Amino acid sequence: MNRLPGIIVAVASEGDISLVDVAVGENTLTAMLVETAESAPYLEAGNAVSVLFKETEVSLGKDLSGRLSLRNRLQGEIADIRKGKLLAEVTLDCGGHRLVSVITRRAAERLELAVGDRVEALVKANEVMLGERADGL
Amino acid sequence: MLELSLRKNLHTAEGNVTLDIELEAETGQFLTLFGRSGVGKTTCLRCIAGLTEPDHGRIAVGGEIWFDRTKGIDIPPQKRRVGFVFQDYALFPNLSVRENLRIALGDPKDERYLDELLELMDIRELERRLPTTLSGGQQQRVALARALARRPRLLLLDEPLSALDGETRQRLQNEILRIQRHFRMTTLMVSHDLGEVYRLSDRVIVIEGGRTVARGRPAEVFSNRRISGKFQFTGEVLAVEPNDVVFTLSILIGNRVVQVIATAQEMQDIQVGDTVMLVSKAFNPLVMKVDRNPGRLSPSRS
Repeated sequence: MNRLPGIIVAVASEGDISLVDVAVGENTLTAMLVETAESAPYLEAGNAVSVLFKETEVSLGKDLSGRLSLRNRLQGEIADIRKGKLLAEVTLDCGGHRLVSVITRRAAERLELAVGDRVEALVKANEVMLGERADGL
Repeated sequence: MLELSLRKNLHTAEGNVTLDIELEAETGQFLTLFGRSGVGKTTCLRCIAGLTEPDHGRIAVGGEIWFDRTKGIDIPPQKRRVGFVFQDYALFPNLSVRENLRIALGDPKDERYLDELLELMDIRELERRLPTTLSGGQQQRVALARALARRPRLLLLDEPLSALDGETRQRLQNEILRIQRHFRMTTLMVSHDLGEVYRLSDRVIVIEGGRTVARGRPAEVFSNRRISGKFQFTGEVLAVEPNDVVFTLSILIGNRVVQVIATAQEMQDIQVGDTVMLVSKAFNPLVMKVDRNPGRLSPSRS
């Protein structure tokens, strides 16, 4: 799984659902959770958390323009590409953090991805989990 | 409701071990003593029931002191209101199901309660049968009903389901939970099955070498960190297959095998035989109604 250290900056809740904004380096990621500060006391601005999501939920974009509903966009540089027959594992360096995306090999070739390319990693907020981080990661 | 602190020296195959346990349970709580190996867990239940005498300590249930070494109090087992369910059922083989229950009743004339128990455990139709003619799952239902016949203040379950097959086991886990909630019965169980601990317990106490090494809610105790994912299951890794740039893991959860994809990095510290936690989000699963009539195909599939 991808695990990035972050600090909670805001929590907005409605019923049982919350949108939690987490600062990860220069970026802000949003996690959509079925949890509130009431059920999970660690959901409070200022607390350290791990931002967790699966590699297969990370899309990649190159030279993106136009408007996107996705709010979770991380700039990174491709550090490694491992191609299989159907899939490709693309490792990014996002401001010193390692982030992995598993996409189809076709998609990787259509984007002409190469080591050193600047790309954007995209994750839907509902795919993002948070983990309590008591130990400083 | 239950307050216990006890110490006892045990002579085991691995040498001398000192059992040293403290625990508390509130009314209606389901507490599990968990430990992969070694002694102490069963001894702890036996001390509560009065079948084994602690070297030191104190046992109080609902404000009543059952054992206190320093005050010289040691209530005999028959006066301690516990229901004890053993792994091997321990039913009287020469008595019918109904008679097995009747001799455990606090008041032998309390036929109404006896009937209620038979209904509740769904063993009404078996009441005239002898235990030897019943399946393992049925015998354990009878054993559970008998444990409740004393109207216990405390239910003690010593690996109650470990002799049963996967499916029966899962069904009885649900039964135990239903009964435990129905009577709001404070329950202490011994188990070494992680899935069972997760499914049944409010709190778990992990015991190793006679000592408590962890305690808390199962999700807290068995995962290193708390995680927001709403779908959490623990399972055992049965197989790992490299596929393309990823790995397919076959994982046993309860009595089902599921397959999940993991990356090379995740596989660095996971091997066949490991216990793993699977976490997903409440947003991911598709929800589909199951046709209660399995013979009929739903229109969309035909």
